[in-house]
Amino acid sequence: MSDALASLGRFLPELLLMGALAVVIVADLATQAWSLARSRNLLVGLTLAGLGAAFVASLGEPGGGSLFASMIADDGLLGVLRPLFALTAIFTLLFSLRAKELDGARMGEMVALLLTVTAALMWMAGSVNLVMIYLSLETVSVASYIMVGYRSSDRLSNEASLKYILFGAVSTGVMLFGLSLLYGLTGTLDLYGVRAALAAEDAGPALILVLLLVAGGIGFKIAAVPFHFWCPDVYTGASTPVTAFLSVGPKAAGFAVLIRFFYSGIAQPGADGTFAAVGGVDWQGLIIVLAVVTMTLGNVAALLQTNMKRLLAYSSIAHAGTILIGAAALSSEGIGAIVTYLVIYLFMNLGAFLVVILVHRVTGTFELEGYAGFWKRSPLLTVAMGIFLFSLMGIPPFAGFFAKLYVFAAAVEAELGWLAVVGVLNSAVAAFYYIKVLRIMAVDPGDGELPALRFSRLDGALLLALVTPNVVGILFGGALEQISEIAQRLLDLA
Amino acid sequence: MGEYLGILVATVFGVAFVAVTLAVSSLVRPVNPLPAKAMPYECGENPVGTPWGVQFNIRFYVFALVFLIFDVEAVMLLPWALAYLDLGPGALAAGLLFLGMLVLGLADVWVKGDLEWVRTEERRALKRRGASPAAAPTGGSA
Repeated sequence: MSDALASLGRFLPELLLMGALAVVIVADLATQAWSLARSRNLLVGLTLAGLGAAFVASLGEPGGGSLFASMIADDGLLGVLRPLFALTAIFTLLFSLRAKELDGARMGEMVALLLTVTAALMWMAGSVNLVMIYLSLETVSVASYIMVGYRSSDRLSNEASLKYILFGAVSTGVMLFGLSLLYGLTGTLDLYGVRAALAAEDAGPALILVLLLVAGGIGFKIAAVPFHFWCPDVYTGASTPVTAFLSVGPKAAGFAVLIRFFYSGIAQPGADGTFAAVGGVDWQGLIIVLAVVTMTLGNVAALLQTNMKRLLAYSSIAHAGTILIGAAALSSEGIGAIVTYLVIYLFMNLGAFLVVILVHRVTGTFELEGYAGFWKRSPLLTVAMGIFLFSLMGIPPFAGFFAKLYVFAAAVEAELGWLAVVGVLNSAVAAFYYIKVLRIMAVDPGDGELPALRFSRLDGALLLALVTPNVVGILFGGALEQISEIAQRLLDLA
Repeated sequence: MGEYLGILVATVFGVAFVAVTLAVSSLVRPVNPLPAKAMPYECGENPVGTPWGVQFNIRFYVFALVFLIFDVEAVMLLPWALAYLDLGPGALAAGLLFLGMLVLGLADVWVKGDLEWVRTEERRALKRRGASPAAAPTGGSA
């Protein structure tokens, strides 16, 4: 009891989100029961306040140690990812105000889901217990299914939601089976206990099965090949703000679980910041294979896309592959590189989706043809999209370059130079489809004379907030180093 | 392996029990098939459709979920009611918080009209079309 109460104080961001959730539900019910006007603004305002408070509360040095009887680690990794989740949710909420697909109906349910997922992402990133990992992952998934199928009258949205549920149910079921086997092998649910048990005695071939099953569950969350099939359809069917959220939030939490499970559960830190697999199974090869296959398939498939949301879906698969290179490095440096990548990825990917939302507002289409001639309609939007895409490509001096640089450096440091080369080659392939989008926007003639675009103040502010970190990322090298350094402080390495 | 032997014995015995019972009864019972006897059993009513691929109204899911609220509440409150005298005011507050969240869930389905078989908004839509709510398709036997 006293441990639980002591933990509550260091659980503030999550508690704030839960509090905001209760307030939002009550406000939604009150506005419905008494048919109040302007309920949308009220709900969005309350949600923003909750998310903002959680963001502020999550800043600052992480406490270290674990919460709730070793369920959640209050360490550097969680300390870095908490504000990232809150920020993603804030952007998603503001996007949803501008998206044509969401007309503001049933906004109360949308913001309630958003708050739930955000809190669950924080639980997920901190979980150091097998049951906690599964529970938080499932909470994120269930709320995401509903968010994807939110436009209940839209057939694409329904189809996407159903596909997501089917894939999700199988993946999490498979993962749960793997976790139960691991519990059978080691007799403990605590990740650090698992590590100790495996270090004491090799688990034999059963551990290989466990790894494959768990990789299925994590691979589903981060959209790694061959667990990616849901990704393009779900990204297309969901409303764009939800797509933007899914491509950043759950992916980052998936990588956090990957780091926790593989680095804290089935590997041991050695000297000079490296990790060594325990339990008699060298799983580095598994991650390397996943990374190479995911990168390559994501990029090659993206080349063939004619729909912007599908293109960004495959692009996000390819980025997951690139981030996996950092996970294959088996070093603290790799962990830092993964988290730095995720932070930068937030700004570049959300930026690209914001442009997609704004273009959809005026053209009503997500097809690439709809982007033709945008230079004439809005040079500003074209330049912004150029910055986001160059950043996604990894061209210096944009922030995306540094994201890739850290990941590749970690790979080279771990004597995986060839893997870094594969990553660079993949970036070259990726440049083709990113530049294709830019060519369509800037060079292709649009049909007829179309009116120039007008932005609301919110659009301008959002664009500015997302463009700036991508452009001046180079100036914040110190901050990135610091993020990377904090993220490396896992529970047992503080 | 020893500890799993019991499961094996129970499985074999369970299968054999049913098989032997059926085999013996087929030897002694009269054989008189009627169409009415071959029909699937459905609570004394004439069955609709085949027993394969049963379809039922999606609304049952909503009621199952609402039922779950009370079900989980009862399960969680029993140990709490037994122990809270020893645990002090903190446990009382935690229990009340838990109850509060469940009441919030109940209020949500109530206000949104999910406790009605024909939801309020659908009833309004039906009224606009001039149909009576009783004529609403319910699907399946309520």
